[in-house]
Amino acid sequence: MSENIKVVMAKLGLDIHWRGAVALTRMLRDQGMEVVYLGNQFPESIVRSAVQEGADVVGLSTLGGNHLTLGPKVVEMLKEQGLDDVLILMGGVIPPEDIPKLKEAGIAEVFGPESKIETITDFIRNNVA
Amino acid sequence: MDENRLYDSEEIKKIKMEKEKWKEQTLRDKAGEKTYYTENGIPIDILYTPEHIADLDYLSDLGFPGQPPYVRGVYPNMYRGRLFTVRQLSGFGGPEDCNRRIKFLLDQGATGINIVFDLPTIRGYDSDDYRAEGNVGICGVAIDSLADMESLFDSIPIDEMTSSVVTHLPSTTVVLLAMYTVMAEKRGVPLEKLGGTTQNDFLMETTIGSAPEIIPPAHSFRLQCDAIEYASKNLPRWNPVSYNGYNLREAGTTAVQEVAIALANCIATAEELIKRGNDIDDFARRLSFFWDLCNDFFEEIAKCRASRKLYQEIISNRFKARNPKSELMRFHVQTAGNTLTAVEPLNNIARSAVQGLAAILGGCQSLHVDSFDEAYSAPTEEAALVSLRTQQILQVETNVVNTVDPLAGSYYVESLTRDIGDKIKDYIDKIESKGGIIAVAESGWLHREISDFAYNQQKQIESGERKIVGVNYFVSDKEEESKIDVFRYPETEEKQKQKLSELRQKRDQEKLEHSLKVLREKCHSDENIMPFVKDAVEAYATLGEIQEIFREEFGLWQFPLV
Repeated sequence: MSENIKVVMAKLGLDIHWRGAVALTRMLRDQGMEVVYLGNQFPESIVRSAVQEGADVVGLSTLGGNHLTLGPKVVEMLKEQGLDDVLILMGGVIPPEDIPKLKEAGIAEVFGPESKIETITDFIRNNVA
Repeated sequence: MDENRLYDSEEIKKIKMEKEKWKEQTLRDKAGEKTYYTENGIPIDILYTPEHIADLDYLSDLGFPGQPPYVRGVYPNMYRGRLFTVRQLSGFGGPEDCNRRIKFLLDQGATGINIVFDLPTIRGYDSDDYRAEGNVGICGVAIDSLADMESLFDSIPIDEMTSSVVTHLPSTTVVLLAMYTVMAEKRGVPLEKLGGTTQNDFLMETTIGSAPEIIPPAHSFRLQCDAIEYASKNLPRWNPVSYNGYNLREAGTTAVQEVAIALANCIATAEELIKRGNDIDDFARRLSFFWDLCNDFFEEIAKCRASRKLYQEIISNRFKARNPKSELMRFHVQTAGNTLTAVEPLNNIARSAVQGLAAILGGCQSLHVDSFDEAYSAPTEEAALVSLRTQQILQVETNVVNTVDPLAGSYYVESLTRDIGDKIKDYIDKIESKGGIIAVAESGWLHREISDFAYNQQKQIESGERKIVGVNYFVSDKEEESKIDVFRYPETEEKQKQKLSELRQKRDQEKLEHSLKVLREKCHSDENIMPFVKDAVEAYATLGEIQEIFREEFGLWQFPLV
């Protein structure tokens, strides 16, 4: 079923560290998912792409400390577009104490630098509506 | 030539024979079946002997420190003359907060300043720009205008202390360096007394870091060269570029690619500045480098030693420098952030200490030791202090600094130094065969090289082929929440916005607009941009306003996606 899963992956805002996002993009493709990598984008354009692409999953990568401000914004804007069933995931350098706040805001899961690809793909497969 | 070699061929023959005997009679099957490789794919022998360096000619291949080819170090007395500078990065919050952290580190014995900026500053957005939201003062200090630069260095002796100002991109370097020099002029400090470094690497703008808005590589490269040329004429003690191998490596390269790409950029710079009518000796003595030392201890040391020699060859053979100072590759080292883990963060202290030791044995000029909380946030004061103490322990307790290049003559290290040097040379040739460093950035070839490495390395971690303690090897079964304080400065954004709004009211509009108009025109001329940026900065144009002009005049470039 992962052949049908479509992921939109983005670097959130200004964070410059693209290594993790790119490696994950390629690994999810290896798992049979269709992944559109947007590069660095702000919430407005991430949401626009998610709508255009008909994304099942939106992956947001940030190591720059903007997760609490820009992350929830993406969730809100997707809801405004009526896309409340899109699975929104975050990854990067995110302090553990911020994770409950992100989940409360509607981020489905947060993956750290040591998350395994298997964990991430399983999570996606089990949670895509 | 044979007589100049360390060992005569008869001796080597004997050693070879004896080694074979040792293998058969003593080692037997104890070497195991597995072949081992260094991080850069050099096969590792179980034992190194003189036969591995049979061709080594001591005088021409190694020589003495402070003499070509500088394998053994750029200064004759190395750390006996001056210890490497303890240059811990600091930067967070507003300039006033960061000023206090700098003073704290100096009080604790740091010997240099190393300023890192927040993402909006790095990428050239003012704190009140919507694109800066959530990032102001988070991973570095926020600087919007000359006034902020003045607060940042308030009562810090900039004529005695060297400042590394980590301006990643040329397009922000020209602005931040202009702010720094205007700040000094206003304080009455002569420009010739200003010692320090700006990073200023066009690959940081167009390849290593990605961003929503990027100016094209050729324009970024021009600004990189403008800053170098300006400094060579006005700032004799300033290193206007620190070719950033570090962030290449962090983004995803081997050590070979790290050094080769940085050197290819250096070659392109020298060609450009010579084309502009400068002499190699006008600017080469102030070119500097920035390396990432990862975990392959001996290979990293070999990398440092080999790169000094390659640089000497390039500057003297290819560009015909006459001043010996032009041939010295001086470099800063930061330990490898990418090797640090979020699980069991205190383990990172051990990793960083080992990497720091390699930097010293490699002959670095200054060092930053990463903090153990790197995988969580910018360092807290406690973590920053442990890093500083790590450096001090290495300096005064281990005795490693008291003799020059102590690993010279190690059969293994010398053999690695030669092999990694050859690999670096080959990779430089590869870049040049594809049209040089600007062409490979423009075409996206470089981005693909980095992406391939990052992807393959991640696969090795997933498969367990690459072992990381605590992550996929010796994983602790008890789930524990690591107790790491997180560094936050949420009020910075509001404070900076407030200051900006006052600044925009107060400044002389006419002077400002005139300086910006001239700057806009000069973007399209062959002239060096620096004096015009300085005029704008002096009129209190903000970093974001000047960047906007660059974006409008140079246009935007699509970052190659993978």
